[in-house]
Amino acid sequence: MLTIGLTHYLLVAAVLFCSGIFTMMTKRNAIGILIGVELVLNSAGVNLVAFDRYLGPGRVDGQIMALFVIVLAAAEAALAVGICINLYKNLATVDVDTAATLRG
Amino acid sequence: MYLLAQANAWADIPVGEHLFYFSPLIALVCTMLAIVACPIILGRGARTAAVVASLGVVATFVLALRVAGAVGDGGVSGLSTWIGGGILIADNLSVCFQIILMLFVAGVMWLWWLGSAEQERNAPEFFILLLGSALGMALMVSTVNLLMIVVAFEAASLPSYAFVGFDKRDRLGAEASLKYMVFGAICAAIMLYGASLLYGLVGSLSVVDVANYTVRHLAGGQAPILLWIALICFLSGIAFKISAVPFHFWCPDAFEGAKIEVTTWLSVVSKAAGLLLLARLATVFCTAVDYPVEMTLVRPLAWTIGIMAAITCTFGNFSAYKQQSVKRLLAYSSIAHAGYMLMAVAVFIHPSVEGHEAGLTALLVYVIIYMFMNLGAFGVTALVAWDTGSDKIESFTGLGRRAPWLAVPMIICLMSLVGIPPLAGFIGKWWILVALGSLHDTVGVQGWFSLSTLGWFLIIVAVLNTLFSLYYYLRVVVEMALKDEGQPRVRVPLGGAVLVNLCALALLGLFVLANPLKSTADRFSRDIFQATATLPAEPDSIASATDETD
Repeated sequence: MLTIGLTHYLLVAAVLFCSGIFTMMTKRNAIGILIGVELVLNSAGVNLVAFDRYLGPGRVDGQIMALFVIVLAAAEAALAVGICINLYKNLATVDVDTAATLRG
Repeated sequence: MYLLAQANAWADIPVGEHLFYFSPLIALVCTMLAIVACPIILGRGARTAAVVASLGVVATFVLALRVAGAVGDGGVSGLSTWIGGGILIADNLSVCFQIILMLFVAGVMWLWWLGSAEQERNAPEFFILLLGSALGMALMVSTVNLLMIVVAFEAASLPSYAFVGFDKRDRLGAEASLKYMVFGAICAAIMLYGASLLYGLVGSLSVVDVANYTVRHLAGGQAPILLWIALICFLSGIAFKISAVPFHFWCPDAFEGAKIEVTTWLSVVSKAAGLLLLARLATVFCTAVDYPVEMTLVRPLAWTIGIMAAITCTFGNFSAYKQQSVKRLLAYSSIAHAGYMLMAVAVFIHPSVEGHEAGLTALLVYVIIYMFMNLGAFGVTALVAWDTGSDKIESFTGLGRRAPWLAVPMIICLMSLVGIPPLAGFIGKWWILVALGSLHDTVGVQGWFSLSTLGWFLIIVAVLNTLFSLYYYLRVVVEMALKDEGQPRVRVPLGGAVLVNLCALALLGLFVLANPLKSTADRFSRDIFQATATLPAEPDSIASATDETD
């Protein structure tokens, strides 16, 4: 019988991470890229909680950090959506390729 | 809280004294709260917000000076206090950076007062963002804990994103802030993933344990590949802050789209914070090295950072060369200078030579000098751009006649950025070169990849880059001094002329005071190394429990 161990959680996190990176690379829409960022942040959260559970009793550092990750993700999302709205008001688009007045 | 309670080290230290070491940070937070409360009571005037913010900055500065005195006198050589195994540290490095930070905040506020205060309707928000990012940067330099590094990183970055797009009607600003934010969010997320992997491998959030773990496993000859992935993920976030190639894409765009005060702010302190955080991590790693891992750890790390520095430096200079906007030119030049400073980090990653503090000394001196150079250069650019309506290089034509009180400090600042004596930029570069020259191996055969090769390679790169950069800085100087097309005089507010001339004077003065500056920085970096060596490892970190993950 298959028991769910640390490796499985880490695999889920790795899949989340890779799909997040893939989303960031392929999406041209700023909101889409941000969804990718959220996926990567959540993969870090899954990692942290899983490590806490399986690395020994009484560990809470990872769980505390996971809480911080949630707060950071929320703060970043709020700010990012604000910036996107601002861009939309100015340029009527949130496509990162169309917004190319600056020659980066 | 658990993380705080874990620190058995401070059980016998009185809390009041403990808080004293972090009073600059607390003062900064209180100032931000006061600025939030102030519009409710006194109205949203720019003057009110500016007065409150200035008072807070002065208070923070004074407190930082007092803490600096206390840290210097401390019997424990530099490290006076830490919470929770390095969640918060007050030592010479952090206090020194807080003092620099407050000086620079004052400069940026001065610039803002001259240029934008009259038509500014969101003054309280401006100061909240400014002081908020300052707080984040101060925290970045005063911690060796992965959680705190990530939180401080975000606390510094999030206000900066909003800051770049501060003018809501400005299309360029909106675009620049979006690019900055997207790139920053990606790097922060990857950094966080790296931190979570490090936690899993090491079983502790303290960088001291990460360093010990790395060194021990390398000495045993088997470092899990996952460790390298985690370290690279984590360091990519810091590279983003420094805008080291290949994490530099945001830098020119964000700098061009932002208001010029904001550009001034980001160009110096966000890089300085990233570099000093990297410096802190490098000292932790190199004080952990008491195993024979020079070949496997020190050389690859030093070479990686060195190559990155060389590419960053060269890229910045070559891109600056064809720019027409002085603001954008200075943005690329700031990438190049990040490269020079990164070279200094490559030196002191090396642990066992007596001269390895030379790198940290050079970095500290360079950061201080760089602050004055950039504040002066951006200040003149701002004053010219506000009067003529353009920051293109053509609006500088004939500035020597149109506004001699701007042209002279601009020439001094630009020549100092090149590194020509008798200006402070020269001593900054000189000590980096000296530190690079002192790089050498202690064990093993000399070969193509020895550290002395790296040192000489970087010296050659730095000298060639300096020669090359002379060309594009001189372009601006020639435009100001030798050409004249009879444009009208530039109206300069008195405060603006005072600010930029003070910066120029500081550059001359720091050259004269080179020796005291050097000896102070030497003492600081010696203290920092000693203090870092005594940072405690967490007792219950489990290093080998995760073998199934690799």
